[in-house]
Amino acid sequence: MTTTVADGVFTLSQSEKQSLLLPELVRLTEHHRNHGEAYARILSATGHVSGREYREEADLPWLPVRLFKTQVLKSISDDEVFKVLTSSGTTGDVSRIFLDKEAAAAQTRMLSKTIQTVLGKQRLPMLVVDTTAIIKDRKSFSARGAGVLGMMNFGRDHVWALDAEQQPDLEAIRGFLAKHGDQPFLIFGFTFMVWLYLYELARDHKLDLSNGILVHSGGWKKLIDRSVDNAEFRRAFAADTGLTRIHNFYGMVEQIGVVYLEGADGNSLYCPDFADVIIRDPQTWAELPPGQPGLVQVLSTLPESYPGHSLLTEDLGVVHGVDDGHWPGKRFSILGRLPRAEARGCSDTFSAGAA
Amino acid sequence: MLTPRFPAAANTTPDELLASVTTEPTDGRLTVGDDRVRDFLIAFSRQLLRPEIARRFPELGSLGFFLRRGEIAKSVERLHDGSAGSRFVPRGLVLHFPPANVDTIFVYSWAMSALAGNSNIVRISNRSAGAAEVVIETLNATLADAHPAIAQTQRMVTYDRDDTITASLSLACDLRVIWGGDRSVIDIRRHPLAPLARDLAFPDRSSFAALSVPAWQAAEPTAKRQAVEGFANDVYWFDQAACSSPRALFWVGEPDAATAAREEFMALLPGIVAGRGWQVDAAMAVEKHVATYGLAAEGVASRVRFSGNAVAEVDLVSPEDMQRRWLGAGTICHSTVGSLADLVPLVRRKDQTLTQFGFSAQELDTFVAEVAGRGIDRIVPFGSALTFAGVWDGYDLLREFTRQTTIWV
Repeated sequence: MTTTVADGVFTLSQSEKQSLLLPELVRLTEHHRNHGEAYARILSATGHVSGREYREEADLPWLPVRLFKTQVLKSISDDEVFKVLTSSGTTGDVSRIFLDKEAAAAQTRMLSKTIQTVLGKQRLPMLVVDTTAIIKDRKSFSARGAGVLGMMNFGRDHVWALDAEQQPDLEAIRGFLAKHGDQPFLIFGFTFMVWLYLYELARDHKLDLSNGILVHSGGWKKLIDRSVDNAEFRRAFAADTGLTRIHNFYGMVEQIGVVYLEGADGNSLYCPDFADVIIRDPQTWAELPPGQPGLVQVLSTLPESYPGHSLLTEDLGVVHGVDDGHWPGKRFSILGRLPRAEARGCSDTFSAGAA
Repeated sequence: MLTPRFPAAANTTPDELLASVTTEPTDGRLTVGDDRVRDFLIAFSRQLLRPEIARRFPELGSLGFFLRRGEIAKSVERLHDGSAGSRFVPRGLVLHFPPANVDTIFVYSWAMSALAGNSNIVRISNRSAGAAEVVIETLNATLADAHPAIAQTQRMVTYDRDDTITASLSLACDLRVIWGGDRSVIDIRRHPLAPLARDLAFPDRSSFAALSVPAWQAAEPTAKRQAVEGFANDVYWFDQAACSSPRALFWVGEPDAATAAREEFMALLPGIVAGRGWQVDAAMAVEKHVATYGLAAEGVASRVRFSGNAVAEVDLVSPEDMQRRWLGAGTICHSTVGSLADLVPLVRRKDQTLTQFGFSAQELDTFVAEVAGRGIDRIVPFGSALTFAGVWDGYDLLREFTRQTTIWV
């Protein structure tokens, strides 16, 4: 298979990927076993002894992604820690991801390569569908702020689409379009905000976004309540604003540097060459064939500094097909999130009763 | 604003509620073991034991059983009221804060307090559902033929988060009963009581199980099967999250025999669990993986094994690693010790129930004496971990709900 520049890091067929990724993932399993006591103990307790043979990606051990919220899992010494990434969870507990200098550089490099697949090498003028307020306090910014800041590297001449009160800033957007609207430009934001603040505004004021490339992420939960799914999102933007180059992506702090990116065909996410997904039946844990929804396991060869190369997420997804889309490999969708299990025991705190 | 659920009535204020609940009822103040209350509880029990209710909500069947005429009589007799120069009298007004999630505990707590002759205000969760709703309906239905003193002195209400209501009710009551969680207990205790009043608190507890390996070896196959069935009930009811649900299972005996016994026991469990239709959904399965892998990461678990999603087994590195926190429904932490005496130093005040198989009364009595108050309020056979009793968390409820007046002639 020939690698074209245009396809960037989305080049490998599923069988090519299997043969390249599997030995790397096995090496990473051994690497993290040898460099992280907690991970070594988990492998030992779950029967993954050193030297065990793995014939397929699906045979590899995985960690539940929430374990990064309850345990310190790293494969570097304390003085090698260069950066600790955190993500806030819905329950207030936080994932901690430890990077050394090399890992931090690698994740930035691979993220760039992935995003450049759709943006090209040049930095484009960038419209950020958010408020500058979220990155003002650099000491305490949120996962949302970190996401915005990370993406800002891919643009130039940034304009914020929302003012400090989180209200759409029509004048700022108009100014941006007047200056850059006749050539390719980048739009970035969280899916829900892009819909709520940019789409409705652009429709109502007949803004022309036809030269834009929209990159967005953050999940569909809030939009599903408004009966907007990915297909409707794309249709409405195209019909009402002319925007057709839309790339949703899926990623998580626990696999920093990996973005599963929506292809130009729309409605399918693709895995970059250094990553893969497996959909598992949550009752049998067996890998599910295309078309059957289950829990999403993410695999990546990037994590060298922490054991994040094989993670079971709490997201539900489905593989639509293999080697049959815009890019080779698996194409899939995220369908939603597993609810958090709740106990109905007597130690449950009657919070209203504590009033 | 308070919403009276039993007897169902229009919204009211704390002052109105307190004024009416403490007014002297028709035919005089309630007494300990009052016939008006007995009759009501017995009628209520009959309703709960109707097959259409007991079949749908087994826990209401147990409750109905607990409130039968004979059981009530036994509870009252246990006080030996009026003998040897002592007379038990009601405390007055009792305020109950039951847990949100165990549907029926509020009924036990209230029923014992009513039987003690108290006026009662029970704060029902506005999240209540299922069995709790059936209880309220049934109580209201039973009221039609009841003595008017019941409706006047016994109240169940809901109210939204409101410190001022909790504060005014707390200040007015003679006994405040707080169930369900350390945080609830601490939060509610912020509100002062009247000088003569007191609290009865049931905070977070934890429980474990122990099995005598020699007794297991000697048991007939049917007895073994019964033991595993009982243990399955103890573990899977309330998603193993009740205070009395065992989380660790100690194999007491010689190591080799213990291993063989465990294999035999655990070979039976998944089939029994499946036979009951108890399933663990994907969210719970993930919860169990997070919890058990976490124990492995911490060096507490030497082995983690799943038999389907329903049964997770953890081998503890040492008995000292006994887990007291919830690890998801159907997670059993195994450890082997030579004798019950080896468990003595492990017991903490927080430990509530020891669920046991195969020990003699003598062995258990010796164990309790050696534990010497470190913890454990209750020892029950496999299958009875969640059976409510009039003595709970070390308190004889009917005695707690009364005052003792001594008479010296």
